[in-house]
Amino acid sequence: MKERNLSFGGILLLAIVLIYAGVLLLAPVLALVSNTFQNGFEPFWNAITDGEALGTLWLSIRLAVLASTFNAILGVMVAWVLVRHTFWGKGFLNALVDLPLVISPVIVGYVMIVLFGRLGWLKDFPIKLAFSWEGMLVLTVFVSLPFVIREIQPVLSGMGKEQEEAAFTLGATPWGTFWRVVFPAIRHALTYGIVLTLARSLGEFGAVAVIGGGTQGSTESATIYIYRSLNDRNYAGAYSMALLLGIISVVILIIMNNLRIHKRGG
Amino acid sequence: MSIYLHNITKKYGATAVVDDVSLEIEQGELFVLLGPSGSGKSTILRMIAGLAPLDGGQISLNGRDVTHLPPQKRHTGFVFQNYSLFQHMTVAQNIGFGLEIQKVPRAQRKERVEELLTLIEMQEYGNRLPAQLSGGQQQRVAVARALAQKPDVLLLDEPFGALDVKIRGQLRQNLREIQQRLNVTAILVTHDQEEAFELADKIGIIDKGRLLEIGTPDQLYRHPAHRFTATFLGNANLFNAHRNGSTIYIGEKRLPAPPNTEFLAGKPVQMMFRPEEVVIASASHPLDGNVFGEGIIESIAFAGALERIAIKLDPSGELIQALISPEISRQLGLRPGDAVKIGVKNFHLLPLE
Repeated sequence: MKERNLSFGGILLLAIVLIYAGVLLLAPVLALVSNTFQNGFEPFWNAITDGEALGTLWLSIRLAVLASTFNAILGVMVAWVLVRHTFWGKGFLNALVDLPLVISPVIVGYVMIVLFGRLGWLKDFPIKLAFSWEGMLVLTVFVSLPFVIREIQPVLSGMGKEQEEAAFTLGATPWGTFWRVVFPAIRHALTYGIVLTLARSLGEFGAVAVIGGGTQGSTESATIYIYRSLNDRNYAGAYSMALLLGIISVVILIIMNNLRIHKRGG
Repeated sequence: MSIYLHNITKKYGATAVVDDVSLEIEQGELFVLLGPSGSGKSTILRMIAGLAPLDGGQISLNGRDVTHLPPQKRHTGFVFQNYSLFQHMTVAQNIGFGLEIQKVPRAQRKERVEELLTLIEMQEYGNRLPAQLSGGQQQRVAVARALAQKPDVLLLDEPFGALDVKIRGQLRQNLREIQQRLNVTAILVTHDQEEAFELADKIGIIDKGRLLEIGTPDQLYRHPAHRFTATFLGNANLFNAHRNGSTIYIGEKRLPAPPNTEFLAGKPVQMMFRPEEVVIASASHPLDGNVFGEGIIESIAFAGALERIAIKLDPSGELIQALISPEISRQLGLRPGDAVKIGVKNFHLLPLE
């Protein structure tokens, strides 16, 4: 352990941080845990093994995994194009990547309804997107779009294109060069990006609630289920699902932290 | 002929970054492309490797027309300034990468990697990662990786540019030894004339995408054909002159024409002499050799083994640079402001551009 010499200002700063973390993070978790188990373990077990609840969780997981897979592949391609190619409008496209972070998901959901709804401009679109799980998937992809791209971009531009060119002169094809040279270099950044995407997708509420409509048994995700359970005064159900999602998030957080250490270590 | 470039051209928009360059390089030669940054020398190297497409011209390597072949099929070894080793692979994996791509059997591959590790004197480093090596070691691995498949030509793009001066000198010697032992044809690109002098069998001078002239270091230093070459390779004193009969006229002054300059007869020329060709005498003393003029010492600066003296020529006010040994300077008691006689031991003529 290093010797610590904290000044008064240092102690004050530390105290503020600890209180802040306590109020904002620890207190809600404790409240959630105590509320969930206030009547013992059985209501929690019943709530999360309930068929309807499990169905919503399954939908959430399915959406998150599909969106992450899609964004992983697309993200690598977009990052590649943004770093390695020069073309007209590149700056604009690059700025556009951050759009999902600054625009409210509810608004995006509403715009989708306006476009693809029964009276929308694109109402004859071959895939039914309004009030369907496909629509929820599209929006989940949208809100979690930037993470993989923004993780990979700096790694790609940092490594430069010389390693790829070296591989070319040594006889490797472009495809072979991608898998042997580029992919190993971006692997950690990609995994980190995917984890962020998963976490963001699992927690999404506004956009999927608007586009999906939250129809029980078909377009109700876990977060929408929590919202409905609270409205229905089904507190056991709401708290239990919230805790479950919380646990999944914590697990993701732990994975993420390990990856971050890995990433820093090269 | 190992390397043959015929009128190769590369354009970005309307400007030619490589302008109609033709070049022939013999088997086993180390050829240095020397020029300032942005002169297009690296682009020429990238065109030979197939990393930059041509807008015109033809490239042959060992008699094989490679003009339209992708980099994978050109059999060149390329060494980049920033080493560009594969960071997640060990030294041995880096060196063996090309062999693995060519599906060379494991045992044979291992043998070749060992051979190359011995060549670069890094036998114990096979299992290290690039991040665990110094810059100089990384560059040696990069050279070994480029040589692993016995390329037709080794291309080196400012390979020592990122290294400090001491290591640079050492690596130059290593590279020269390796290149001569393997008798591999090599082109090295640099902006450092000292490096070019030390390594090159021949030097090609590049300026604004054009290959101005080719020669041995000695030829280019003593008898450049272009003003750019004269000033880029060290310092040069240049004066407009005219050659008539066997006499050179520089303003009012006359000097006997140097031999082998008859082809410049009757034409406006430039007279060039290096600072070390200048002799100085006090105004009251006689001077050996040709008297070039008289002037006033402007400044005297320490330059290692010699003193760098700037003299303002009388009456034109042009500056002459001279390199004088400190002993002579002390004997003459030279000080700024002194009036001196200036002589020139050897000089050279080049056509006025």
